[in-house]
Amino acid sequence: MDIEQRQAEHIEYFVKQASTHNGASLANVVTQATSHSSLFAFSEIIAVPSVHELQGTENSVYLDLLKLFAHGTWSDYKSNAGHLPQLVPDQILKLKQLTVLTLAEINKVLPYDMLMQELDVTNVRELEDFLINECMYVGIVRGKLDQLRRCFEVQFAAGRDLRPGQLGSMIQTLTNWYYFRF
Amino acid sequence: MASSSSSGLTFKLHPLVILNISDHYTRVKSQAQSPPSAVNGGEATSPPPRVFGCVIGVQSGRTVEIFNSFELLYYPSTNSLDRSFLEKKQELYKKVFPNFYILGWYSTGSDAEESDMHIHKALMDINESPIYVLLNPSINHAQKDLPVTIYESVEAERISVDHVAHLKPSDGGSAATQLAAHLTGIHSAIKMLNSRIRVLHHYLLAMQKGDIPCENSLLRQVSSLLRRLPTIESEKFQDDFLTVSAFNS
Repeated sequence: MDIEQRQAEHIEYFVKQASTHNGASLANVVTQATSHSSLFAFSEIIAVPSVHELQGTENSVYLDLLKLFAHGTWSDYKSNAGHLPQLVPDQILKLKQLTVLTLAEINKVLPYDMLMQELDVTNVRELEDFLINECMYVGIVRGKLDQLRRCFEVQFAAGRDLRPGQLGSMIQTLTNWYYFRF
Repeated sequence: MASSSSSGLTFKLHPLVILNISDHYTRVKSQAQSPPSAVNGGEATSPPPRVFGCVIGVQSGRTVEIFNSFELLYYPSTNSLDRSFLEKKQELYKKVFPNFYILGWYSTGSDAEESDMHIHKALMDINESPIYVLLNPSINHAQKDLPVTIYESVEAERISVDHVAHLKPSDGGSAATQLAAHLTGIHSAIKMLNSRIRVLHHYLLAMQKGDIPCENSLLRQVSSLLRRLPTIESEKFQDDFLTVSAFNS
């Protein structure tokens, strides 16, 4: 919840920026937003009309970039790098942070090997540093690192932007929870 | 001065508070007195007015230290305190003494009265268990101690909830009563949780239908929350859980 409070003002800022820019300068705003260290949600920016209008223009790749940051992972970027703008280090970092959030959605216990593969990290020390410094200290996840079993137990992970159709499955989960059906 | 109390709290009352209350009482009394008549020497025949105020200080652990106090505006007709005046004073004192909280209230008189409960309850939304400091202004030369009494809040409800929460049946009951108490507590908690889930459910449905605009920030938080389900997932847990439920019914 803390994450949402902290990023609320940044979302507001970038939404304002996006509505007053077009074309190449808007592309710049997108780059800034996806590099910002405290911003992890992009639905609001994508909803801005001027951003939507990037579709079909020479800057449409920036709209695609925003969508990647809203829903995609580092692997998605790699397989589509040819059609997307080059990423600066801050963007790469953020995309990897967001990847951890997506992985935590599927499983509560994330094996180190799987994490290292998804994040292109070659050793455990680097992985743990990343998880500790860039994920836990930033506040987007909370959990326990189990070195013996080589896994990361996620207790809390911030929510990413909703994928289309995700609202429906969330409502279903709530229904099941209410009626105690698992 | 420390004193014993049923809840195990230790109280420390600073002399300033006693002086403040006494001074408040003295000022009000002298202002209320009509000009002395030549005949009976000027003694007021009606009982002296009671004064009211707040006591502030610090509570750390089991020690409550009352450092200061301020006067409050009281309406005898409605037996109530001026709320906005209280809040204004509270705000001002918070600026000068940021560490002090409102610990309770004070008044004067020889005994606590029934009507005092009304004021006591009104303060409960500022401090969940306020203390009441009573100063007896009548001068008694035979009395050696200071005429100050401190009353604490007695919370019967909290005590019984405490029993449930901490598995302490008053008679140290059997395992069955302890379990029943424990499960009752869980049942209440689950009922509350369920109603919260229902609220969320309705809210999300309304968003899906378009009755209300989608609030992305909230949706992200709900998705983060749902991620945590189920909290314990293993066959062993299922077995244990079902066994306990069967035992209960």
